Amino acid sequence: MLLTRDDWYELSRDVDWELDHVDRATAFPANWTGADGIPEKAWDAWEEPFRVSYRDYVRLQREKESGVKAVSQALVRSGTYEKLDPGHVAASHLHMGTTCMVEYMAVTMQSRMCRFAPTPRWRSLGVFGMLDETRHTQLDLRFSHDLLKHDPRFDWAQKAFHTNEWGVLAVKNFFDDIMLSADCVEAAMATSLTVEHGFTNIQFVALAADAMAAGDINWSNLLSSIQTDEARHAQLGFPTLQVLMEHDPQRAQQALDVAFWRSARLFQTLTGPAMDYYTPVDQRKMSFKEFMLEWIVNHHERILEDYGLAKPWYWDRFLLSLENGHHAMHLGTWFWRPTLFWKPNAGVSKAEREWLREKYPTWEDNWGVLWDEVIANVNAGRMDKTLPETLPSLCNLTQLPLGSAYSRHELAPHQLTYNGRLYSFDSEVSQWVFELDPERYAGHRTVVDRFIGGEIQPMSLEGGLLWMGLTPEVMGDDVYQYAWAREYAALVETEAGTLAGVPVAGE
Amino acid sequence: MTNVSAPRPRSRGLKTWSSFGNLGRRPTEYEVLTWNMNHTAGSPALELGPDVNGNVWLREHRDGMRFVVPSWDAFRDPDQVTYGSYVAMQDDAETYVEGLLAQFDADGHDAALPGGALDVLAVALAPCRFLGHGLQMLSAYVQQLAPSSFVATAATFQTADQLRRVQTLAYRTTQLARAHPGLGFGTGERAAWREDPHWQPLRRLVELALVEYDWDRAVVATQLVVKPVADLLLLDALAHRLGAAGATLDALVLENLAKDARRSQRFSVALARFVVEADPGNAAVLQEYLDAWAPLGHEAVADGARLFAADEDDVARVRASVTQDWAGLVTDAGLRLPDA
Repeated sequence: MLLTRDDWYELSRDVDWELDHVDRATAFPANWTGADGIPEKAWDAWEEPFRVSYRDYVRLQREKESGVKAVSQALVRSGTYEKLDPGHVAASHLHMGTTCMVEYMAVTMQSRMCRFAPTPRWRSLGVFGMLDETRHTQLDLRFSHDLLKHDPRFDWAQKAFHTNEWGVLAVKNFFDDIMLSADCVEAAMATSLTVEHGFTNIQFVALAADAMAAGDINWSNLLSSIQTDEARHAQLGFPTLQVLMEHDPQRAQQALDVAFWRSARLFQTLTGPAMDYYTPVDQRKMSFKEFMLEWIVNHHERILEDYGLAKPWYWDRFLLSLENGHHAMHLGTWFWRPTLFWKPNAGVSKAEREWLREKYPTWEDNWGVLWDEVIANVNAGRMDKTLPETLPSLCNLTQLPLGSAYSRHELAPHQLTYNGRLYSFDSEVSQWVFELDPERYAGHRTVVDRFIGGEIQPMSLEGGLLWMGLTPEVMGDDVYQYAWAREYAALVETEAGTLAGVPVAGE
Repeated sequence: MTNVSAPRPRSRGLKTWSSFGNLGRRPTEYEVLTWNMNHTAGSPALELGPDVNGNVWLREHRDGMRFVVPSWDAFRDPDQVTYGSYVAMQDDAETYVEGLLAQFDADGHDAALPGGALDVLAVALAPCRFLGHGLQMLSAYVQQLAPSSFVATAATFQTADQLRRVQTLAYRTTQLARAHPGLGFGTGERAAWREDPHWQPLRRLVELALVEYDWDRAVVATQLVVKPVADLLLLDALAHRLGAAGATLDALVLENLAKDARRSQRFSVALARFVVEADPGNAAVLQEYLDAWAPLGHEAVADGARLFAADEDDVARVRASVTQDWAGLVTDAGLRLPDA
């Protein structure tokens, strides 16, 4: 009699055995399983959130691969890329440079689960995770390689994580931690549940929608196809959370609270500017905040409630950061644009500001005034005032600039001394994360630590750029060459009536 | 910014990844999709403090290895498997197996299995799902510490092959349990794997290999000993025996799974040869590790042959054939299999 999957599945996961020749604690060490303090029998309650057979997997994935490849080849040939808005294109440079290697890191994380997860059910699902993440890596690489002839910035899909570019180092620091150093249980909380099930929706749903609206069908199609895999394997976190809630709910609360804050800060950097500034204003589907609230925040609150967990203590601070953090990161990245491998769009033309005011009622007061200074400097030809002379101070937890978590009205320093060394943080929340487990974070040296330590030579911005691997052909500059500032120059001229000779940068 | 005419980005495009350097030829699709993706070659390996869990593990178990290899990314999987080619190849393989299952089911194959075949299926085939899971864990470990994405990616596909094997065996075991209730299909495999004396050397080999955490030693243990021994014995030799005993369906299924094993063996041989050729001192290191693991492999072959061989002559034949093929693989790798 031919069988359905459920007929044989139970047997396929009945593959654990009692080890006789080696100690179980050596074969499944707690530093990788994360199962310390959880009774071995507890893992019998770990039920797969989805079932998939190898047979169905290879059939379905083969079809998906053929589909994406066919669309991609047709679009690359038709020259669609060359017709895209350059502001939008920066979003795909940023995505490929900061995400492609993370996909590959995820192969290794899934592999760790495949080897060390405390139940064979999870270990076997890890295999599909390994395959999925291999797919995403290779999709990103193929996409980027196909476009190399149009733009050398796509080289960074492959190259970024071999450089010291500061933004990439921030991404690497976070994912090296929660994917490659964390035990399986924590990786499931931080990566599967928080990042993959939550935050990556911003990349793979929101950016996909924006990309489609911008006419970038190739990239949109790739993101959407990746999302179909993520939506499946991200569910790995739920049964693990279930087990933790039975045996160590405090650990679940802490792991999720830490991961949520760190993810929120990172995605403010990776996706916030792309959604609210790089995507052409008439093509934006939702603001970053709107998308976060609908897809990430509500969703996270629901998970916490469903599993009997409390909202993080810092919830009010998070909501304040949601209003501001990505605007701060955008202003910061635009100002430090020579340290980027993509060309950011300032995104503050009058029409764009109107959109920003509507979406963020506090934007003008918190950010508009700062952009006004930039605009005045640009229009007065004082370009040196719009560019950095040195590197920003960085948070010892998030690796993001100090002052970038909230608005210009919230710049109180957050510092502590640990083992004789001074640590600085972008927020009280980041400081709290550090204090939970100082040994985990204290040994790391930020870009600024290395700069002060003399590792970056010459000790100047130029030396920093060299150290970061930024070459002239990819180094960031304003994508529209400051053309957006002209409409403000015209305004000043009209009002003052005497400023006709003010030079406009980029001309 | 749609109300201004934007300058086009300057086009100074590249033909391929700049990090290929001067390759002197167009890279293959496999190379484009696999090259240079290990980002942990620095010191510390991870962008974290030097004493965190991940960095300590890599330092102790990967970076302390005795293989001297100037450029790990010079390795190539002989089959050049990419994700796309893997799922396509395996979909074809699974379609073939699906066809076998349907055809033999229609012919009433399981009900007609002779008693001798059923014994072999219960004792030797069905418990292999535990072995398969062990090989899956071992393969995943080879992947996660691999110093090159070319090595790691081949190990990823090898890991996935093991899940294919486990699920195929679960399918067949369930079918056999339904066709022949009372013979222990689906219920007796764990006891066989843990207690049948003929399984024990192989189980011991798997368990010991699980805790061989130093990556250079783990590669030798998994790729040159455990995996080839297990596959030559319980795919190739067992398929032959099942065919002779009248279990035609399982013989054909195992022959198909053995194609995955053959790919793994090509990878193992290529990897060992690559290491041997990378530095004159490596061969002795590989040989030393192999010498340490080979006796356990020989024991696994010697006892494992008794799981399914028809008689004493057959035991000798299975042992000789598996050992010969294993030795051939080791020789291809540029090493020598020590005698039993």
